[in-house]
This record gives sequence, structure tokens and C-alpha cells, in this order.
Amino acid sequence: MIREEILLGNGAIALGLVESGCQIVTSYPGTPSSEILPEVVRFVKSEKLDTYVEWSTNEKVALDTAFAASITGKRAACCMKQVGLNVAADSLMSAAYLGTVGGLVIISCDDPGPHSSQTEQDTRFMARLAKVPVLDPSNPQEAREMVGLAMDISEEFRIPVILRPAIRVCHARQNISFGPIKKNDQKASFEKNPQRWAATPRFRLILHGELNKKLKKIGKRFEDLSQYNFHNLESGKRYPLGIIAGGVPYSVIRDFLSEEKRTDIPVLKIGTPYPFPESLAAEFMSACEKVMVIEETDTLIEYLLRDKDKVMGRLSGHVPPEGELVPQVIHKLINNVLEELNLEPFQADDDHEAVQLVKDLQLPVRRPTLCPGCPERSAFFAIRKTRPKAIFTSDIGCYTLGLNLGVVDTCLDMGAAITIAAGFYHSFAQDAIEQPIVATIGDSTFFHAGPVGLLNAVYNGARFILVILDNLTTAMTGMQPTPALGIRADGSKGKAISLERIVAGCGVDFIEVVDPYDIKKTTSLLKKAVKYVKDPKGGIAVIIARHPCVIAYPDEAIPQKKKVTITEDCVECNFCLDRFECPALYHDQELGRVNINREICVDCGVCLQICPKGAIVEA
Amino acid sequence: METINIVLSGLGGQGILFMTRVLAQASLHHGFPVMVAETHGMAQRGGSVISHLRLGEVESSLVRTGTAQFLLSLEENEGYRNLPFLSRGGRMYVNTNSKHFPIEEVKEFLDKREVIYRSIPAGTIAQELGAPRSSNLALLGYFSAFAEGPIGYKDIKTTIDKISPKRLKDINLKVFEAGYKKGKDFRGNFFG
Repeated sequence: MIREEILLGNGAIALGLVESGCQIVTSYPGTPSSEILPEVVRFVKSEKLDTYVEWSTNEKVALDTAFAASITGKRAACCMKQVGLNVAADSLMSAAYLGTVGGLVIISCDDPGPHSSQTEQDTRFMARLAKVPVLDPSNPQEAREMVGLAMDISEEFRIPVILRPAIRVCHARQNISFGPIKKNDQKASFEKNPQRWAATPRFRLILHGELNKKLKKIGKRFEDLSQYNFHNLESGKRYPLGIIAGGVPYSVIRDFLSEEKRTDIPVLKIGTPYPFPESLAAEFMSACEKVMVIEETDTLIEYLLRDKDKVMGRLSGHVPPEGELVPQVIHKLINNVLEELNLEPFQADDDHEAVQLVKDLQLPVRRPTLCPGCPERSAFFAIRKTRPKAIFTSDIGCYTLGLNLGVVDTCLDMGAAITIAAGFYHSFAQDAIEQPIVATIGDSTFFHAGPVGLLNAVYNGARFILVILDNLTTAMTGMQPTPALGIRADGSKGKAISLERIVAGCGVDFIEVVDPYDIKKTTSLLKKAVKYVKDPKGGIAVIIARHPCVIAYPDEAIPQKKKVTITEDCVECNFCLDRFECPALYHDQELGRVNINREICVDCGVCLQICPKGAIVEA
Repeated sequence: METINIVLSGLGGQGILFMTRVLAQASLHHGFPVMVAETHGMAQRGGSVISHLRLGEVESSLVRTGTAQFLLSLEENEGYRNLPFLSRGGRMYVNTNSKHFPIEEVKEFLDKREVIYRSIPAGTIAQELGAPRSSNLALLGYFSAFAEGPIGYKDIKTTIDKISPKRLKDINLKVFEAGYKKGKDFRGNFFG
């Protein structure tokens, strides 16, 4: 029997990696890419492969590591989210010039929407900037196949290749049949060639020339890659409108056209947006009066098309320049164009009334919030209590949700809690203003990008309180281990890296560890830190607020369950709802006081410490 | 086959992903090609969560508004929020304790569009069985009792048995059965 599974898109990509004989896979977790590496681990175990896998400390480290494997002749891949590729950009730009030996595939997952990212940036432009090929899958099955193609192209042309799945590929699920998986026995060998692998600017010019030649050849190859770049024009026929699409929008449009049984609108699918299959596109354009371009997230295809007068897309205002292109949006956009061109429209949209109804209902917006029992909530509560007037710089992770508690004022990029705090300090200090600043950063984010900023801040004399919210996991992206745990990506034991020692190594002299569930102790430590920051002999104070994540370690996080109840002393001041914002606390209108939602309360008992009226008590 | 579109909604932490997986796996077992779209990341921390499940020969994972034959919601407001997905004559299943479900404005709309709606206090049922986080299975059981979906009680039950983590298997099945029974009883009363 053929093995068939409903795989997550990221699982399909992982399958593609092991099928392609990838020997080294590195990654830093980030939505929507996080599940690729764990799925690789699953297949490595079930197929008894010896693939090396690692959670790298950040994306640049991941890419450098995979690049090294490639130039020993092995097949390698690194996986990240789109903004992770910014971190790895330095490595990417240079690796494009140096080239590869074994296949090197960079999987960078885009997030149109954005659902879980700082930007809607389009990885395809990163590929264009670096001058490396990029493949754009439309669904999980295609993503899996494209991994193999990317690996082959990379190895044949000695160039890194990017696969750009968007979130609707990564987090789609599809039934996938498994093929045979062969072990790749390629051994590592490094042929010294400093003129290439350590090229100086003089040689870089030569390498740039080589890169351009490679791209030309790959461009030719892509013209004939009929599996991923194709159209359905009938020869000799002319069309009033054609559609050019790639990635997720292509699959949406494909479904529409078959549902509506429309054969009058030809479609050109672009699976390899760069290098762009120009002749194929020119052939398609010449058969159509007008061409609508529907791509995510930016305008790469639109820029690369020559005959702009025919194009209806983002540049002409026919497609919105931001936001995800979900089916109902694409449906309306195409209908608008059909109408503009006096062509037969699609079936009318049937959602206006419902959309208006939902609008009129004014449903409460359910914003994401920290989980019941989350130790970060207690840390934030203590911080706000001690330093209500501070500027709160924060970072990327679950704890960005400290926003709801009024304890997050900035969130720029990974590690910026520290660097922004330092920048604020110097800006205010210049005007002789003593501005309190409290920075918060998670443990995994600290490992990713914290130390460099911290040692810079210490070295340059900045002063602020840094609270490292150490919940012993990378929680937001799905509980991947951090270096502090000493557990590696495949579950094996690694060396645990001490946060305290890194902080000390950055030159910090005030380092305290506290359990944030103990709000009183946390508060008094924060007060001590305030003094230290103000002291002429002081500096940056670091508090490590350490308590296990309640989702990753439910038993360890709450070793002693405490059932709480709310007495009639509750005066409905809503202090607990505003300042503590535990989802298990709610205002009970019938009861005329705050009440506890037992469905979600985890009995952590932390709220026993917060009520100004003492109305929250042990049951 | 005609494509079947199912939208599942609720709040992060209610088990939408698991409920979707059960239906998807049961459908595959039944021989349907399966496409799913899931919500991961920040929204899983208590925000609005939605899954799309499409059965049939389709290429894209997202359901277009106005085309879902089924809307299953683990929370009343999230059910309302996703009404635009429901097709004319669709079916809506909601977890709520409210005696006023659906609220007047919604009822009017659903009746006009010939949508059949049903509610069950899935959260309470799960809680009474000592599994407050398993309201998803109670709703699935209830849904399966009406035998309107492409996959029935048996397929769903077998799948829950197969894919539940060991320590949750018994309680999952128990809650599912309780939801199923509630649906059966309702049907019994209804059809006399």
C-alpha cells in the first residue's frame, strides 16, 4: 500500500528535503516556517537517515552553516521566515557570488496579511537583490516537488536557490503520497581555493560576472520549465484578457476558472519569477489585449513584464498594494476587471449581506492575549507597578502581547528591546533628562540577537533595566528548545548555555534571577535595579525572570495548584482586568463582580497577589 | 465530486486545529482529496482562530466567502463573525450555552438564506465530564449525529481513536459520544 498522509505544507517541504538527499538542515523558528525542521526530524527518524539538523541561534548562523556544508559538497538547506532572511541577508548576498558545490536551498516563508510578522515583505525581491533564482509554489504538493528542483538547479549551476512558500502553502494541509527515500552518501571534502572562498574585491568582480552568466543560463532553462511555467493559450487565438499569476493566487484562480467553467480567460502560471521566463511571458502578452497580474505580495512579475500598457495590476491600481489576496478579494478584483473590459463577469459575489450584518453586530475584537498562568504576565504586572512612568521597549515573541497591559511601547525587530533602550537612554541623556527605561526580551530572542546589542549598550555607558523573560522555550513559534536547555533539534543532548554567563560576559555587573510568579520579590528586585541604574557607579541592571512556560511545561509551571475564588469584597474597579488581563478573569454582569472562567483557569494562583481590595482569595 | 467547503472557527486554545485534523483525516480515510488552511502563530494565543477544510479536486486551501456548506464554531461570536463564509442553504453548528442563539438579527438572516442552525452547550458537556478543554469533541459528536456532513459518526469516531494522544484518547471518545448522544436525542425528539 502506498503511504499517504495529510501533510502540513511545511511537512511537504520537509519531505521534499529528505527526498532530495539533503544532508544538513538548519533553521531558526518563525511563523510560518517553524514546522519544517521538526518535520524533517520526524522523517529522519522514520527513515533512519543520518541527516544533521540544528536549531541555529539565528538565521544568519543557519545560512552560514548550511553554506559551509554546501561547499564541502553536501546538499544543505536552511529554513526561516521572510524577516529572518533580513538577518541572513549579509550571508545571502555574498554566498550568491561565491556560489555553491553541493545543492544549497534557502527556504524563506512569506506572510502576506501579515498574520504573524512585522512586515509583508516579498522574498522574491530579496532573491532579485541577491541575484539568486527563486521558486514560488502554489500548494504543498508543488512545494515538495520544487525543493527537489531547487536542489538540482543549485548543484548544476553552483548557485544558492530560494524557495518562497507563502503562509497559505506552509500552513495548508494536503494529502500527499510518499515515494522512496534514498540516503545520500556524499562525503564532505573541501577543496581549498582562496580566490573563490575568501575572494577579495578584485576577485569579487570576476565572481559577479560568473553569477550573471549563471543567471542567464538558468533563465533559459526556466523558459522551458513547462512543469512550473506554462499557459493554456490556443495557438493563433486572440484574447481580450489573460491572467498572469504565481504562488497561492494561481491556485485560487485555477479553482475559480474551473468552478465557473471559463475557458475564455487564459492563464500564465509563473513558478519561477526570477530569473523571469521573458519569452514565455512575451508570447502570452502578445496573444492578449489586456493582462491582469495577480501575485503576492509585491510587484516583481509586474516590474519584469515589458509591455506595461497592457498590464492591469498593482501599479495600475487594479490590485491592492497591501494585504493578503484571499479568494473573495481575488474574485472581486477579477470581476472588476471583467466589468471594466465589458466581458462576461463571474457569478456575482454572495456575501454582501453577511458582511454588512457582521459589521452591524459590532462583535468584540478578540485580540490575542497571554495565556492563563503565563509567567510573563506576572513579570509585566510587577514592572508596571514599580516603574509606571518608564518607557517600555520590548521585542518579538508572545510577550509583545504585553501591549495589552501597557508595558510594551516599542517593538522593532529581533533584539531591539536592548538597542532601542540604549538609543533612548543616549537621546534623553543628551538633554540631561533621567528617563526611566525598562526593556523586556524573551530568552530565545535574547540568544538570537541580544548579546551584541547588550555589550554595545554596556560599552557605551547606557543605563536601563533589562528584564529577560525566561520561560525556557521559544513559545510563540511552537515550543522549540533554546540553547539554555541543552536539548537539540533532534531531541539529543547538547551543551546547555547559561544566560547568566552570557549576560556577565557582555560586561553587566548587576544580574539577578527571580521567579516572576512571586510578584512581591520581583517588585523588590526591580526597586533594587532602579537604584543601581541611578547610582553613579551603577549601569545596566539585568533581571532574569525565570519561570517555565505554562503551555510547554504545564506540570512544572504550576507544581501546586491553587484554586481561587472572588469574594463579595470585589468593588468592580476592574483593576485586575486592566492590569493583569488574565483571560480566565471576566466581569460577570449577573453576579455584579469579577468572576473566574473555570474552563480556562489553570489554578496558578498568581492573581491572589494582585487585588487592591483583597477580593481574590484561595477557594 | 462537488467540492465540499467547511469552515471551523473559535478562539485560540479551543482545539480548532485538532478538530480540523480529525475531520480531514476521516475524509481522507473516506477517499476524498483533502485541502486544509490553518491558523498558527500569534492568533493561537486566545485570538480568533479559523480553519478551512475543502474536500474535492481543488488546488487552493482557502474557502471563498459565500461557498461553505458547513460552519462549525466553538464560540458564538466567532460563529457570527464567520457568517460571510456560509452558502445559501448551509448548516451552522455552534457551541453555546445561550438560550437566545441565534440572536434576532442573525436568525432573520439565517432564515432568509435557508441556513439550518443548531447549537449545543459543548463547553458545559465537556466540563461535566472533567475535560473542560474538550468542547471541540462534543461539538464534533453533535455534528456527526445529524449525518449531514460528507463523513459520518463512524469515520469520525475511528479517527479520534486513531489520532488522539494516548493520555487523552479515552476522555476524547467519551466527550465525543456525549455530544453525539445529545444530537441523537435532539433528532429523536424532533422527528418524534
